[in-house]
Order: sequence, then structure tokens, then C-alpha cells
Amino acid sequence: MSPIIEIDRLSFRYPGAERDSLRNVCLTIEEGDFVAVIGGNGSGKTTLCKTLNGLVPHYWEGEFAGEVRVDGVDTYDSTVATLSSTVGYVYQDFQNQLVRPRVRDEVEFGPTNFGMADYAERATEAMQMLGISHLADRFVWQLSGGQAHLTALASVLAMRPRIIVVDEPVAEVDPAGAHALYERLTELNQIHGITVIVIEHHAEFIAQYAKSVVLMDDGAPVWHLPAPQAAARAAELASHGIPAPQIVAACEGLELAAAPRTVDEAAAVLRTAGARQRPSWTAEAVAGSAGQATREGQPTTEGEERRPVAVASAVSHGYRSVAGDLMPVLTDVDLTIRAGDRVALVGGNGAGKSTLMRLLCGLQVPRGGSVTLDGIDTKKSSATKLAEHAAYLFQRPEQMFLKDSIRADVRLFPAGRKRADADALVDRVLDRVRLSDFADRDGRTLSGGQQRRATLAIGLAMTPSLLLADEPTASLDVASRDSVISMLDELSGAIAAAVVATHDMHLVAEWATRVIVLGGGGVLADVTPSELFASDALLEGAHVVPPQITALGRALGIDPAPLSVAQWREAVALADASETVEVTA
Amino acid sequence: MSRKTRDVLSVEWVKLELIRTAYATRGGLFAKMDPRMVISWYLILAVVPWLTHDLVTIIALFALTAVSAALARVGPLVLGLFLIGFVTDFGYAFGAAWVFGGDHETALALVEITLKLATVSLASIAAFVSLDPEELSTGLLAWKAPELLAFGVSYGYRMMPILFEEFGTVFTGLRLRSPQGKKGFLGLRALWRWGTWAVQAFYPIFLNTAKSVRTTVESLETRGFTAAQGRDLRIAQLSIGALDVAVVAVTAVAVVGAFELDALFTIA
Amino acid sequence: MSQTTVPEERAGRLRGTAAGIRRDLSGSQKLMIFVLSMALSGVANTVIEVIPEVSIGPVDVSVSYFVFVPLTLVALLNPFWAALGAPVGEVIFVDLLMGDFSGLAEVEGIIQMFLALFIAGSMIRNPRSKIQIALAAVTVVVIDKALSAIVDLSKVWIGVEDAEYVEGLPESILVLEGIGFAVDILITGVLFGVIPAIWLIPALHGRIEPLLGMRPRVPGEPIQGSAPRTGLFVGVALALGIASFFFAFLEAWDVAIGVFEPDFIDTYGSGFLWVGIGAAAIAFLVGVALVKLSRNTSTED
Repeated sequence: MSPIIEIDRLSFRYPGAERDSLRNVCLTIEEGDFVAVIGGNGSGKTTLCKTLNGLVPHYWEGEFAGEVRVDGVDTYDSTVATLSSTVGYVYQDFQNQLVRPRVRDEVEFGPTNFGMADYAERATEAMQMLGISHLADRFVWQLSGGQAHLTALASVLAMRPRIIVVDEPVAEVDPAGAHALYERLTELNQIHGITVIVIEHHAEFIAQYAKSVVLMDDGAPVWHLPAPQAAARAAELASHGIPAPQIVAACEGLELAAAPRTVDEAAAVLRTAGARQRPSWTAEAVAGSAGQATREGQPTTEGEERRPVAVASAVSHGYRSVAGDLMPVLTDVDLTIRAGDRVALVGGNGAGKSTLMRLLCGLQVPRGGSVTLDGIDTKKSSATKLAEHAAYLFQRPEQMFLKDSIRADVRLFPAGRKRADADALVDRVLDRVRLSDFADRDGRTLSGGQQRRATLAIGLAMTPSLLLADEPTASLDVASRDSVISMLDELSGAIAAAVVATHDMHLVAEWATRVIVLGGGGVLADVTPSELFASDALLEGAHVVPPQITALGRALGIDPAPLSVAQWREAVALADASETVEVTA
Repeated sequence: MSRKTRDVLSVEWVKLELIRTAYATRGGLFAKMDPRMVISWYLILAVVPWLTHDLVTIIALFALTAVSAALARVGPLVLGLFLIGFVTDFGYAFGAAWVFGGDHETALALVEITLKLATVSLASIAAFVSLDPEELSTGLLAWKAPELLAFGVSYGYRMMPILFEEFGTVFTGLRLRSPQGKKGFLGLRALWRWGTWAVQAFYPIFLNTAKSVRTTVESLETRGFTAAQGRDLRIAQLSIGALDVAVVAVTAVAVVGAFELDALFTIA
Repeated sequence: MSQTTVPEERAGRLRGTAAGIRRDLSGSQKLMIFVLSMALSGVANTVIEVIPEVSIGPVDVSVSYFVFVPLTLVALLNPFWAALGAPVGEVIFVDLLMGDFSGLAEVEGIIQMFLALFIAGSMIRNPRSKIQIALAAVTVVVIDKALSAIVDLSKVWIGVEDAEYVEGLPESILVLEGIGFAVDILITGVLFGVIPAIWLIPALHGRIEPLLGMRPRVPGEPIQGSAPRTGLFVGVALALGIASFFFAFLEAWDVAIGVFEPDFIDTYGSGFLWVGIGAAAIAFLVGVALVKLSRNTSTED
């Protein structure tokens, strides 16, 4: 194999910046490699990838020192247009990359612009390679997140590039879609010999798919190693904000020095090592453990009926389609959210998660049936009045940043409703989500995790009975995601009940007490997280993949399967070790 | 008062109407035609009303465009806005002329000018509402319009429902979270509040749009938009068929007929 | 472990210059401003289209457009490209789509709005000065509305046979136009121009530019990549002005035809058509000149 990318002592500084974003980068990537570029926020990952197709320095100008050679061409002496036929780039916010109305137009766009007469064949071929030929005549705004991402990928594939760069491929795609996407990238890499470079936070994907890993820190690569060796440096990765995959953590918890890449591998390793369920790990024990069901903050005891916060009775709702027909989304749904509930709504795209949440908070009223929020029929009140009872957090945080600072955004509601203690409340809430230091910044300038916490603060300052959040952990790296989950965890005292629509099974496993699976226009199941992950039929119906640790637990026949690494440690022991535990217990 | 889900006159409805209009999903006569011929058709009807002062001819031309609009299956939102606009314009102009001592002749003169403007507008509605934005922009390219304009057309159509929805979301946020108050005299206070929200909504919209436009333009750059060698390829996708010729021919005959009608009446 | 400490000095050879920001904008930055202006003005106009119109008597008390939206862009970014994007966005998003498209008259509308916005944007030297912003907002409406009032008046002349002999018609149209003009300045220029712009422009100054990869404008300093003050540019601006007036002028010409030879109007039909084509040709040439200009400036870098 020959090197396709050679970077020699590259430094780059954005105009007006205090310091270099890239500093003396030396890196060689072989043709046919599958590289994961990892590193914390601001480590220069994205800037590095943008040097490959010449966006740096031809589009983003600044001080550029050193050399970048792509397929032998010095990028400084070339142009973005020329380099783009060698390097394809798929953005993290790929929705904005799509500029044409229909999928086929979109895929043909690049080849047409370059005057390639065979643009139609190229487009057809690219769509076939990614298995999206059936979408060719769809409008791009009709596509799901995963389909839109594949379309963006197809549109760069149509240029027949030798290198494809994908910035955070799984950020906006559900877990099943994320695996499918990586499978496609692997095909492109193995069958078509395309060099793939991904910017990725999730260790589980890196371990499973990448051939080599580049760790970036402070504008330069720390190392570039084959994937297995990289995976073995779990502690170092963790210090750079990439916690080890749960299956690796599971082995570590048993003091096994192994870096399995998939759940099956891990199960094989652990079986050989003699891992088995501790006798102390029973369903009752789980109920009492750090994980699930009853929590300290809960105001009432088990037997007593807890106060209903929101009640949906015989709710039916639907939307008008572009063609004018009424598309039913929910049919005859009965549901009661009670004080103390932490509900996760799961289900495939279009199952009605967002619709149900909008109905519960009174933003919309159902076409049939009724919704009662804090004892008020939502049809009899206005959305503005109901905002005092339920806060709904949109999926995209920037849509909630209406003012020029976080403080002003959080203050907007309590001050507007003339609450006497508004300022004290704002300070308290900001402190609670640990954003006091950033209170005067515009929400858009914060990192992804901080943005989510800021939206939580906005919701909390509304002092609602019911908090609803749409995908609160989407497109976050692992560390930010964990901080948002623990934040949600701490908030249980401040609000009576919370409902979250999510694809993130870590959030379901570690936070929820109740999972409502939506599908086929109604509630498929109303269960606990453990019950969800124990049933293949439910998992399939909800289009979700359990967290690795839960899948591993099931593979080893541990019942109930652990929902977090902490539970795993309580539940599993190696054959000999378990006896010593028994003795000490 | 009880709230219910409305299917018309809501933000969602407007968005759907925009999408239906923009993407010509209603089908209709002109949607099947070559964009260049549709534009030519429009140009004929945009110019001829100004060549006559005869009311009969003008009415005939108006009838012709009205039939075309029906064949083009123009949607209710667009048609409603059009009708309201013309009826009120005419009413006010006539009212004012009456105040200054106008009579039935003034009214006739106003009917004439209103009908002329209405004919031109209706022709443009029928033509441009039916055109797929992609075809329209290809048609513009074929006529040597600047690439930037042709791109603007198709990008604008793609983004508009998305941006409108974003505005709706931000506006809803403002409405729910901002201070509430009384309606005031004639609802003026409420009107003022709504006005302020509409303006305030632009602060986040500006910043959010700027962020997404950056990605868009970067991606345009990587996909050769600025290299702009694709003009001929796109133009080659167009072809003028029998339907195109037939529609333009029928229109031409009808226009000539309308002018002949004038002669007929003058003789009689 | 191959961890190395980053050396203090850059090791690689510096390419190009170590300069900060260029005086000129790159082609893609211009495209970015144009697309942004187009999108935002389009949204603003869609919103206005949806707002119900309030009328007091014969006068339409409605908002013609949100002046503050394009004004913010011309004040903070390059006025030339922002001013060009705004009317194009309006035509594409609203006029084409909502069936408001008036064909050739749209060209005239684009030219008017472009001139109004460009002049207003060039007036703002300090994006934090309230007086400059207020003046600029009113200027946009005055220039645009004055030009379109002239065109409106001439449309009546061309559209109605012997318009000046019809009892009460000229006066009524004049008065309506006059009241409309005053109301427009008040509502569109002040209520939805000056007042929001005074708040929005300083609020966005320094926040929106970094998102586009540009340096915020420093008060007093000419804007980055401002329109070239060359003979070519002045020529194009002049041509635009003339072309816009030409639309009004050519319609006045028809009045002459109508007055002196009312019976032969059909004979002059072909001649009249030619006038229309001539106007379109001028507009087209101006368009070509604009594109040429943009290509020239982008290839200069």
C-alpha cells in the first residue's frame, strides 16, 4: 500500500485567532485505510480534515505553513474544486449539505457541475452502492435522518473519490441507522478500496470498524496506531474524553486484560474466563440497587396511587400530508403520567413520539379524545397558560436560544410571569446546571453538552410539573451525554414528572423508570427498561439496540441483564472470585 | 372557548400549501411542459393585455388566463390571496375616485386596469406555480440567466419550507415564554406584542441561518458549483414536445381570437 | 508512546503571507452573503405574506416588507452582495411562489430594492450608531417607494385610455399614492425599519460575522470587501438607475401614442412590443454586467 495522504509539518491559524488551530502536524495515511480521528473539542480534528480537500486554506483563509499532499498533489497549489474529485466530505450537519429538492438531483449535482457527461450513470451507481436507489425521486425534506445522511454520502460518492471524510457520522442518526451506515462505509472501504476517514467520539464504533486511529490533542496528533493497539490504551483515551466501550469496561471490571471489538467477542472471552452471575444478583436486588424503579427523591410510597400529572384518554391525532390526506399518527391512546415518573418514549421514526409530547404539553390539542394536564383540559386552556404547567424542550437547542445570553433566556419566562423571586430562581437554576460561568454568553457559542444543559435550565426556570424533552442527548459525545444524563437524574426533585423522547438506549437504561414503546399508532408496551431489553420482540418493534453492556449480560444469560457498567460489577463475577465475594458478604 | 386542531389557516397549513405550490405536486397542465415554453406562454399573456384598450378583448383575455389557472390547478391559498388583493384594490381605488367626483366611466376605467393587472398576475400564477423549481432554474439557465440566479431559485424553493418552519418554532417559543398581557383597545396591545415577537424572532433566525448557510456554501464549493461547467449538461435535459407546441399554439389562436372579438363588436 | 511535546516554533515552511485579513472578500464569502441575504429576506417576506393585512379606509395599513432584515445584512456585511440577495430572495421565495410574480416588473423591483439597500448600506459607517441606522432605514423605504410610485402612476397612464381625461382618476390615484407613500414610510420605514434595526443591528454586530468566517466590522472603517470604487462600478450603478427609470419612461411614451393616435394603437402594437423587449434587454445587459463584475472581482484574488 502506498500513502495517499502525506502531511508534513502543517500549521494553520484562523484569521484573528490567538493561537494555531493545527501545530506541526505530521501524518501519513495509507491508501485503503479506515481511519478514525478522535480527540476532545477544539483538538483540531475538523480543521485537519478540512485541509484534505483544500477548504483550508482556500476557503478558510489564514496562516498556512507546511505541506499537505493528497494523492501526490500539493493542496496549497491546487483548488477545492480539483481536490474534491479525490476527496469527498460529508458534514456533521449534513442536512445543510443537501441543496437540491430531490435525491437524484442532489446526487447528480457534483458530477453535473464538473461537466461530466456520465453524471446520470455516476449518480445511479452511487445510489446503488449505498442501497438508496428506491429513494431517487423522493424530496430531500421527506427523508429520515439516516436516509438524508446516505444521500449526502451518495452525492460525494458520485464524484468517485478515492478518499471519503465523514464528520461524526452517528451524531444525528438512531443506533440501528448508525450501524447500518458503518456497514456501508466498511463496504466502500473493503470492496471499492476507498480510503475512509471518520471523526468519531464513540469508542464502540471505533473498536468495531476502524483499522487505525489518530488521536488529536491541542492541534497535533498524539499518535496514529492500528485500532487494536489504540483500543488497549483505554485510560489514555478516557483522559481525552473517549471512555472505553462498555464491553471493554466490563472486562476491566473483572480484571481481564482484553479489548473485545464486538459483543460476541466479549461474550466469548468472558465465557472462557468463567464469568457468571453472582447469586446475590436477583430481581429484588436490582430494584434496590443504584439503578432502577424506586429512587430516594420519590415522594410517595409504593402502594399509594401517585398523583396523575398528565392524562391522555382515547387520544387520536394526525397530520395533513402534502397530498392533503389526513395521516393518522396516534389512535385511541390512553396514558397516565404520574408524579415521580421518568418516562422514556421510544419507537421508530414517525411512531408519534414528538406528536404525543406536543399533545401532553398542550402545544397542540388532539383531534379526538382529551389530554388533561395538572387537572386542566388542554382544549379549555391556551398554550401560553399551559406553559406554566409543562415545559417542552425542542430537539435543536439553538431554536430555544431566543436572547443574546443564557441568563436572559432562562429569565425570560419567570420574569415575564412577574415572579417576585425571578432573579434568585435564575441564579439557582444556572448554578444547578453548572452554567453560572457561561451565563452571559449566547447559547450558540457553547459546546453541545452545555447547550443541552442550558435548555434544561430554561425548562426548569419555568417551574413546570411536567418536563418534556425531545432527544436531549442526540449528537453529543459520550462525556457530554453522561453529564446530561446525570443532570436529568438530579432534577427529579424539582419537577413532578419528566418525559423524554429518545433513541439513546444509554439514557433509557441509566435514567428512565418507565419505557413507553410507540408503534403502529398506539402504545406497544409500557414497561421498565429491564423488561424492554429482555424482549427481542419489543426491541425490534421499537427499532432500538440495547446498550452493549445489556446485550452482553443477555448473551451470558444473566437475568435481569445489567443496565449499566456499575450494575454489571454488582451482577457478574468470575467463577473463582464469586466465592470470595460470597464469603465476605 | 375550546381549542381544536385546524386544517386551514394555521401555520402548518401555510407550510403545506407552500410545499404543494413550490413542488407542483398538484400536477396540472404546465407541470408537464418544457419550462422554456411555459415562460414563453407567460410572456405572451403578460404583454398582450397592454396592447388594447378594448374591454371585450380584455375580458376575453382574462377568461383565457382564468381557464389556464384552472387547468394548472392553482391552490386555494395562492388563489385566495390573489382574489382578495384584486377585489380590495379595486374597491379602494373606486371609492377614492368616487370621492373626487368620478362616475361610471371612472369605474369602467378602473375595471379595465384592474382586469389587465389581474390577467397578467393570473398568468404568472398559472405558469410559475406549476413549474418545478428545478425545471424553472434549468429553463433560466437555457436562457443564459446568471448561474447564481438559477441556483437561487432551486435553493430558495428547497429551503423555504424549512426556514418557515424554523420561524414558526422560534415564534412559538417566544409566544410561550414571553410576558403575557391584556388584549387592549381593539386588540392593539396584543397586536403590538405579536409584532414585537415577529421582530424578535429574527435574532435567533439570523444566527441559526448564518450557521447553516456556511455549511451549504462550503459544500457548494466542494461540489464544483463555482467551477460551473455543468450548464450545457443541464440544458440538454430539456426538450420541447408536442404538448408544448400545442398549448402555445392554442393560446396564440385564442389571443388572436380575443382581438378579433374586439373587431366584431366594433363593427356591430 | 509516541507522545511528543509541541515545539514552540512552527516547523513547516510558511505558504503565502502571514497577513491577517484580506481587504477583499473571497468568491465564496460573497456567495455566502448572497445566499444568506436571499434566505433571510425570503423568510421575512413569507411571514409578511401570511400576516393579515389591516386596512383603514382606502389606505392599506400593511407592512410592505421587514426593512430591518436586509438592512441588518447590508449594515454588517458587504452591502453590495447583501443588497443583491435581498430582492432576489423576495422574488424567488414569495413572488414566484405565491403567484405575485409580475414578470418584467420584477426586474424593476429588484433594481429599485438593490439600489435602495446598497445606498443605505453604504451610508452606515458605524453599525453601532443609532442615528446612522435610523437614517439608513428611512432611506431604503424612501428610495424604493418613490421609484415604485412613479412606475405605478405610469402604469395607470398606459393602462387606461386617455387617463387624464377620465373624471377624478388622476387625482384619486395621486392622492392614494401619496397617502400610501406616507403610510409606508411610517409603518414599513419606522415601525418595522428604524425601531427593530436600532435593536437588531448592534445585537448581531460581532456575533454573526464569526459564524460566516469573517471579521466583525470596526466602526468607521470601510467594510471588508466593499464594492470597488472604480469607474466600472459607478457605471453599472448608473446603468441600473437608468434602466429602472426606463421602465417608467417607456410607459409614459405609450401615453403619447395613446393620446395622439388612439385609432391606430393596433398598428403600433408591434412597436410597443419592441419597447417591452428593449426594456428586458437593458435589464438583461445590466444583469450580465453584474455577473461579469462579480466574476472579475472574484478572479482578481
